[in-house]
Order: sequence, then structure tokens, then C-alpha cells
Amino acid sequence: MLIELSGVSKIYNQGRANEVRALTGIDLGVEQGSMVCLKGPSGSGKSTLLAIIGCIFPPTSGKAAIADRQLARLPDRFLTLHRRETIGFIFQRFNILPELTVLENITLPLLPLGVPPKERRQRAHELLERFAISHRAKFPAGQISGGELQRVAIARALINNQPIILADEPTAHLDTALSREFMEIMQQLKEAGKTIVIASHDPLVFDHPAIDRTVTIKDGKIHVS
Amino acid sequence: MATISRTNLEKQLNILDYALSSLWRRRLKSLSVLLVFAAVIFLLASFQMVTQALTDKARQVLVHTPEITLQKMSAGRQEAIPLAYQEQLAGIFGIRKVVPRIWGYYFDEVRLANYTVMGMAVDQMPEGARLDTALASGAMPGPDEQGRAVIGQAISKALALEGRATFSLFRPDLSLKGFTVSGEFSSDTDILTNDLMVMSLADARDLFALPSGLVTDFCIYVANPKEIETIAKKIAAALPSVRVLTRPQIQKTYQVVFGWRSGFGSICLLAALAAFVILAWDKASGLSPEERREIAILKVLGWETSDILAVRFWESVIVSGLACLAGMTAAYLHVVYFAAALFRPVLMGWSVLRPELQLAPRIEAGDVLLLIAFTVIPYLAATVIPAWRSATVPADSALGG
Repeated sequence: MLIELSGVSKIYNQGRANEVRALTGIDLGVEQGSMVCLKGPSGSGKSTLLAIIGCIFPPTSGKAAIADRQLARLPDRFLTLHRRETIGFIFQRFNILPELTVLENITLPLLPLGVPPKERRQRAHELLERFAISHRAKFPAGQISGGELQRVAIARALINNQPIILADEPTAHLDTALSREFMEIMQQLKEAGKTIVIASHDPLVFDHPAIDRTVTIKDGKIHVS
Repeated sequence: MATISRTNLEKQLNILDYALSSLWRRRLKSLSVLLVFAAVIFLLASFQMVTQALTDKARQVLVHTPEITLQKMSAGRQEAIPLAYQEQLAGIFGIRKVVPRIWGYYFDEVRLANYTVMGMAVDQMPEGARLDTALASGAMPGPDEQGRAVIGQAISKALALEGRATFSLFRPDLSLKGFTVSGEFSSDTDILTNDLMVMSLADARDLFALPSGLVTDFCIYVANPKEIETIAKKIAAALPSVRVLTRPQIQKTYQVVFGWRSGFGSICLLAALAAFVILAWDKASGLSPEERREIAILKVLGWETSDILAVRFWESVIVSGLACLAGMTAAYLHVVYFAAALFRPVLMGWSVLRPELQLAPRIEAGDVLLLIAFTVIPYLAATVIPAWRSATVPADSALGG
């Protein structure tokens, strides 16, 4: 298993008056090269689970192993280093910085890795060509279309060739055509060997034939129907 | 090991590159901060440079002053000194020359200007101290030459001589005393001679109606300049009622005067700097929703808190470095080409006849470092320390609910 969670719980603000239990006893395994959809309503805990898989923070209790690395009690610095090498993120609304050019947005994950400018540009251009947006390389990201923005976000998630792609509500603000296009790209990436976890409550995502497994989350627990 | 350090260097260069692009993206904000900061540095640096230049100028010019000056004190105030002391002083071993002098201020009511009048027996002064070198034209009046005077550049302008060589001043009884200009002081010595009028001892006595047998002070020249302090002590012991002023003391007084004025101005300007730093702190500690979002995105994309702090650090270094460079260059130009027009009234007194000096600022590494310590370092602290709070924005805030 590339992603293995066992009895994972997450409590925000533990011990304080505003304590929130976001996840309780999550057991989840994701095999390498598979595509899993985390389905559930807003506030169900999908993003928290995605954040734990994405090494943004460790679980409060339970075991989480991502790409053979145990996350529990791993200091923040090491979580960041592991995230850099292992996880590519695609955000809701894509979280592209509009003032930066398309090229600059795509190469952002490479800056703290000390990748020289020439190599950064080379890697970015390969992805831009792959997603047919090389003509937009020098455009400010705030001036490109929604479909192009989506491809920029995917390119950014792939720039460091991470084995795991996590997508948080990627189609929440896309029309049907763009949502279908997004899933087609995900399918191609899965075929290329990437492991993909998508948090979504969009039927176009969880009913897509490329999805190997859909996990329903409700009130912070995996819901077995 | 070499690969790791190269990667680290590349990383820092990448972060620096990002900081530069970040400043460029917020260019209006960056430029306004830079301009205000540069203005504060300009004011402080100007003050420092003018003070330095004036002190240097005073030191150069004070070479012409006597090694020891004697004045008679009575009830804590200066009064005329008997000429009879001259013989007593000449008997002190080590004294080369004793030159009597009459000096005072003459207020020109027509032009509302104060002139410094000095009557002395120039011929009695030793070689090298005769003020001839301070002259731009003409010659010092001889002991028997009545009604002749050497004047400073500002007096020449104030009297509007325009080719004429004569002018008149009022005696205390309001009768007129006529003078012929026998020479003009060089503008190089403006700081001391701008409002100076030198004449014979007899003319000065006549102008101020000072009784014979009295002068205002004695100029004493010593054989060995290293013995100034020793001789001063001998004089003080021999004539307890006189005030003994040595050249080093006068030099020090000038330095203190300029230093005090500069210090006063600097304190006012430091208050402006403090206000700017507080504003910078306030700005840096507040975080707009866009900035929070950017930090969260960068952290999810693998940026560490230290990387984000490094961006803030480089941004502050670039802004403060450029502000420092611009402020100090502007200060230099202000002092050299505009004769420190903004601060002349504060630093050089309020005399109507202000000297038109050609100031040459001396820039020393120590002064530059001091200025950096008082401006750049507080700015860095005010922007980087609160940035720590900003940089700890949790990465998960970039994710949905």
C-alpha cells in the first residue's frame, strides 16, 4: 500500500473550549497506481483526511504511513520535506497566484528545492506542452481561462514528479465540460502510474469509470453503505 | 557536501528571485515604503554629513587662530584687559609673541546685520599667523594705516560696495567713521571670516570708543605648540583674573556646538524614524487575506516556514538597502551641490550673514555603519520579527472545508 491509515483520528484545538473532532478511527489503504475518491458533504472531514495524507499535519492518534514513512509524531519540518518529494496538490479553485505568470506558478514547488532556473523552465515547458498551454507560459495566471487554469494547477502538481496526486474538490467551480476534461487528465495520470486521491462530492468525479474506489465520509467517519 | 552547499546556494538565489518578483508585484506599495524610508535616511545622513563637513571646515580654518587667547573676567563677565599685562606676559618662558587685540560686534541697523570687528597689530603677529593666507585680494592694514579694513565676503555683499572701496560705520556717539577696503577674505575661510572686518588696533579703539590702555584680549603665540597647555597653566597662575583659552579648547567648542546642533536635529529625526519603524511593524504584522492565501499555498507546495521568512527578509533587505543607498546619495548631493540648504539655518546659526560654504562631506565607514545600525537594522527587525507570525499560517488553510 502506498497510503495506509489505521485508526486515524484528528482533533483540532484539543483540550480547549473550541475543540473539534474532525476524524474518528479512519482505516484506509490506497494501492500504488490506483485512483480513490473521498466522497461526502461539506464539513464531513474530507479535507482533513486529505491534509493528513498530504503530510500537512500528522493525525492526533492512529497510524498514517505515506510512501513508507510513518507520519505520526513527525516534526513539521520533516512533514514538509516528505510532502515536497511525495505529494502533488490540486486545490479547490486551483489556488493559482494570479499575479504570477503561468510559468512562475508551475515552478513554485521547485524554488525551495534549489532547482536552477534553467532546469525549472525546462521541466515546466515539458508539462506546458503536454497540457497544450505552452503559448500561455508568460501570461499572468489571472488572465487565462478556467480550463487553462485547471491545466496549470495539474502541471504544478506534477512538476516535481511526485508519485501521489491529491485533489481537493477540483471540479467544484468548473462546468461539466471542464470537469470531464479534468477527469480525463486524471485518468491519463493514473495510467502513467500516479496514485490519485480526489476529495469530491461531484457525481462526475465519483461516478467516473477511472475511479477504482469511492470512500464515503460522514461526520468524520468512513460510512459503509 | 559540495552538492548540498550548491543546492543551498541555488535555493537562496531562488528565494531571492521570488522576493524580487514579490516586490515587483507589489511595486506601488514597495515604492512608497522605499521612498518614505529613503527620505528618513536622507534627513539623518544629511545631518551627519553637514555636521562632519562643518567640523572639518572649522578645524581647517581654526589653524589661523592664536594658540592662546587671554580675556579679563570680572563678575563672571568679560571686560577690557589692561595693556600693561603685555609686559608681564612677555616674561613667561615659552611665549613667542603677545599681540593685543580689540574685537567686538557691530550691528548695522540699516542692513540688520551683525559684523565681527577685529582690531589688531598685524605686524606684531608671527610669520604664518598673519591671516595673509586667508586673503583673496589686497593686504592687511599696517599699524600706521588709519581707516583701512579687510572685510569678509558677506560684508562686501551686505554693504553693496559694487566697485566702491569706501564705507562708513557709526561710533557709539553716532558720528561716522570712514573706512577704505584694503582687502577681502577668501571664501575658503567663510565659516570664520564671512562677517569679519579686520582693522588696525587704533581704528577699532576709535570705532568702539575703548579707552586707551585697554584692549579686549591678547593673542599669545608660543614657541613650541606642544607646550600650549603648560604655558596656559603658567599664565593662569600668574594672572588669576584672566580667562585663558587655548586653540584646542576653541576647536573643541566648535565641535561641541555643531555636535549639539546635530544631536538636537538627529533626535527630532530619530523620532520620525521611530514612527516609520512602528508603521513598518504594524504593516508587517498585519496580513491581508491575499497574503495569507499565498503563504498557505506556498506551504502546501513544500515551502518551509523558514523559506517564507527568508522571502520576507530579502524583501526587507532589498527595500532598506535601496532606501539606504538612495537616501545617502541624495544626502551627499544635497550637501555638496545644494550646500545643505535644508539644514543650514539649524546647523550654522541664525546669523543674517550666513557663510556660503562649499561643504565637502567626509564619509567614513564608521558613520555609514552607524547610520545602517540606526535605520536598516530597526527596519529589518520591524518587518522580519512580525513576519514570523505571518509565516506560521497553517498550510491547511489553503484547502477547502
